Amino acid sequence: MIEIKNLSKTFKKNMVLDHIDLTIKKGDVVAVIGPSGAGKSTLLRCINLLEEAEEGTITIDGLRVDVKKKTKQELISLRQNTAMVFQQFNLFRRKTALENVMEGLVVVKKLAKNEAEEMAKFQLQKVGLIKQIDYYPKQLSGGQQQRVAIARALAMNPKLLLFDEPTSALDPELVGEVLDTIKETALEGNTMILVSHEMNFVKKVANRVLFLYNGKIIEDGTPKEVFENPKNTRTKEFLSKIAYSTEPEYQI
Amino acid sequence: MPNIFDIKLVFTQIPSLLLYLPVTLEITILSMVIGLLLGFILAIIKVKGITFLTQLTAIFVSFTRGTPLLVQLYLTYYGIPIFLRYYNYYNDTTYNLNSIPPLLFVLVTFSLNEAAYNSESIRAAIQSIEKGQIEAAYSLGMTFFQVLYRIIIPEAFVVALPTLGNALISLLKGTSLAFVCSVVEITAQGKILAGSNYRYFEVYVSLAIIYWVMTIIIERSIKVIERKLTIPE
Repeated sequence: MIEIKNLSKTFKKNMVLDHIDLTIKKGDVVAVIGPSGAGKSTLLRCINLLEEAEEGTITIDGLRVDVKKKTKQELISLRQNTAMVFQQFNLFRRKTALENVMEGLVVVKKLAKNEAEEMAKFQLQKVGLIKQIDYYPKQLSGGQQQRVAIARALAMNPKLLLFDEPTSALDPELVGEVLDTIKETALEGNTMILVSHEMNFVKKVANRVLFLYNGKIIEDGTPKEVFENPKNTRTKEFLSKIAYSTEPEYQI
Repeated sequence: MPNIFDIKLVFTQIPSLLLYLPVTLEITILSMVIGLLLGFILAIIKVKGITFLTQLTAIFVSFTRGTPLLVQLYLTYYGIPIFLRYYNYYNDTTYNLNSIPPLLFVLVTFSLNEAAYNSESIRAAIQSIEKGQIEAAYSLGMTFFQVLYRIIIPEAFVVALPTLGNALISLLKGTSLAFVCSVVEITAQGKILAGSNYRYFEVYVSLAIIYWVMTIIIERSIKVIERKLTIPE
């Protein structure tokens, strides 16, 4: 179980996260939606401590970290229990797809090289890239790179997966393959927090949707509740704005 | 025809000059290695911004880049024995000033000089790396040193290689001043040879050829390394 309490973060007098309280059960797929600059990415980055929040505690399965008083060991442990998929993929440029997925296993989990290689090949097979294991990121398309990034995150067997706008930097025709991969990941029972603008996808994959506005979670419910019966006026405003640019239902 | 320029001599004295090439190479290679290591440490200090040390590093780099290599050689050549004499006086020790191998002065000067220049090249290379990869490495759970060793150094090395290659070539030429500290390398040997037959011009032509060939070898090697490190499209 994941518990976030009292998480606050301010950027230059702008309170981007305002004492956020959030509890997530194992297997939940939580989508975070909201206007740009609302703090969605910041929320994710504060959870794995890439950003230093001003106050708050993050608890993952009993491991409790106070963001102000964290020790180095707690920091590393927290990061080892989470894995992030970035908007810009952030693959290691000088390593092949296989080496990218193996990196965390060899360096952080200290697995033997052949064990790591097997695990990496298994993950790459799952995302459908077994033929490209020796390709460098430069030689892969955006969609392929993001799938390698997802494989890299999954290989670490994290308790919580963080997806920071995983398809926002992709060409439209490549978005589908990545969304399929994320859907598979959700169906396997992983606990995920997904920040995305793909509303149709969010409706299908998430079991809980949060609307983040001015640093606070002002709407929290199932996709049906949030999209069809929003309680807050701001949510209604936001949803009506994006309905203008909603793509038709995804077809195979 | 008067023997104003003896072109045969230019080539016949090359072997006797090459006898001292190992000294030139020894100074170059040792200074470069130590200079790179120290330069790397200084670069990290500046990148991380460790308050007290960053200021010290900045002063050191500024001074070392701001004074001519010749002046620095004299400073160490006279400075280290003077320091040692004070040390002997205040600590009642009897370290023998004459037993210091002259090569030490040369290595100290050149290493510090290389470290100062290289620290800036390496710092620039490190800071040119996109933060994304570094964030991905941290979010996997790596420590600073793991990120440094696995991600930052491999990327920064490729970026810094051309500039470091330049530094190596400059260092090779800089060794020609080592005679100031009584170390005989090829240029010093050239002066000694010319002292006996007054054919100074011919000796410098020979030296120019030797330095040029060595530089071409370094240039080619750097090119090969660069090609090996490039990831194909």
